[in-house]
Amino acid sequence: MSPASPRRRAPIRGVGRVVSLGDEGGVNRRLVLALPGWPGSEPGQFVMLSPGERGAAPRSDPLLPRPMAVYRTHAADGAGDPALEILFKVHGRGTALLADLEPGAQVGVVGPLGTPFPDPPLGARAVIAAGGTGIASVYELAAHLHARGVHVVVLLGARSARDLMGEADFAASGVPLAIATEDGSRGVRGLVTDLLDDALSGAQPAALYACGPTPMMAAVARQAEQRGIPCWASLENPMACGFGVCLGCAAPLRSGGFALVCRDGPVLPAHEVAWESLP
Amino acid sequence: MSAVDTRVNLGGIALRNPVLTASGTFGYGTEFAPFLDLTRIGGFVAKSLTLEPRRGNPPPRIAEAPSGMLNAISLENVGVDAFVREKLPALPEGVVVVASLFETEIERYAEVAKRLTGAPRVAGLEVNASCPHVKSGGIEFGQRPALLAQLVSAVRRATELPLLVKLSPNVTDIGEMARVCEAEGANGISLINSVQALEVDAETRRPVLSNVLGGLSGPAIRPIALRMVWQASRAVKIPICGMGGITSAADAVKFLLCGATAVQVGTQNYLEPHIAGDVADGLVAYAERHGIARLADLTGALELPARRVPT
Repeated sequence: MSPASPRRRAPIRGVGRVVSLGDEGGVNRRLVLALPGWPGSEPGQFVMLSPGERGAAPRSDPLLPRPMAVYRTHAADGAGDPALEILFKVHGRGTALLADLEPGAQVGVVGPLGTPFPDPPLGARAVIAAGGTGIASVYELAAHLHARGVHVVVLLGARSARDLMGEADFAASGVPLAIATEDGSRGVRGLVTDLLDDALSGAQPAALYACGPTPMMAAVARQAEQRGIPCWASLENPMACGFGVCLGCAAPLRSGGFALVCRDGPVLPAHEVAWESLP
Repeated sequence: MSAVDTRVNLGGIALRNPVLTASGTFGYGTEFAPFLDLTRIGGFVAKSLTLEPRRGNPPPRIAEAPSGMLNAISLENVGVDAFVREKLPALPEGVVVVASLFETEIERYAEVAKRLTGAPRVAGLEVNASCPHVKSGGIEFGQRPALLAQLVSAVRRATELPLLVKLSPNVTDIGEMARVCEAEGANGISLINSVQALEVDAETRRPVLSNVLGGLSGPAIRPIALRMVWQASRAVKIPICGMGGITSAADAVKFLLCGATAVQVGTQNYLEPHIAGDVADGLVAYAERHGIARLADLTGALELPARRVPT
């Protein structure tokens, strides 16, 4: 189970077309993009999205593309192009631009990018803990592990039932699911980390996967370390390029060095990350 | 096959077309292999190299700004020896590489230049003069004419390769800096580097970058860059490589008109990793549309108003 998975596809730079853009509860949106030539992605990989038509003079403000986890991919259905699905939260100018797109609008895409989640051994148990928009990064992982016969349990957390993204998809995939919301409007009242004790009480899982707010991932990483469970976390950082060139997305490591979230991550061995030094 | 002659000579560096990519925005070239055939462009300027490998600043290292971005990476790089040993051989045939170098002391600059001289595919050097000089208490080399003269002279003695000097825009008189480079034997001048800048988070009352100050790049700085390229081109006879916020062929044309012999695409490579190739193609389309036989004829072809303009 090497953290540097050999499963990589060469990224493309393409222009996607908005198929649909729907509400996903609260300020969350679900974007489906048809993208000619999309080679598919591995669980945990991401794309860089530049909303809008380029034209002769491209939009310069906001300038940078936005990194977004690939929620899932739909294979081309005969005549159609392959499509990728993105779940995102509207929280700034870049995501507001994305949220305002009409069906048929263009979106520049670079991807698939980044190091995916590694597989646990066949027949093993695995636990996935995801909070907030981190849920968007783990659907394909859950579906992939479930399909491979891994006994995977998914723990989802959100502020409230309204903010909880993707629940129906996870439920439909047949993966055992536990939910926590901060206001108790869905599942257990509390944080996703409150579900960990239960999930880890039986046989020791072979892998723990986390994606969510930094304090949540740090807490999961601590638990994993105390219990001796291999743990991978998917990080988020501002980045300009997404493919290891701008060097803007450096995350501090315990070793004293840095990992590039775009290239070395977004999935990193949780024990290597200097959680207390993340901005 | 287009009839337009796209070739230019940038101070002894023969380029198939005048479009390069800017140091620090193009890695070591191989990162762009999935997106761009590097033989479509004139060449690329590799990430600045130091004598030893160098680790960058803690995050946050970048931030968005209106029509631009700030960065304070602190010139993280693999070091000159690893570049020559590992990065250069990984590039395909026919790729023109300009190696960028920087250091904190003049002797070390000269040593990096020596180690790059004779390395395969390195067609020229670009001295990044926007670095703090340790012995002068952190003043940028490119901000003091005397310091800049010493630097260019030392690197000139260390290499026979065509030598470009990349100037800082953070000066009062860019023409003076350009003349210093020319007098000390530089073969060309690259400008502008990023504009020193500061952005603040009003809620937290903190600078957005861990380094406090950063370099502003992107379309926001393009008019400043055009102005400085124009001023520098009037001050010296050696060729100018112009850059700052280029996103399209039309932007590149503006730099050529203001006196640049070649251009570098920078920040836009992050957004559109294939863009430099499109800019090169777009220059040919522009030339065809305007009946221009040689792209080199665009250099300095800015048509000034009859009335005397302030310089």
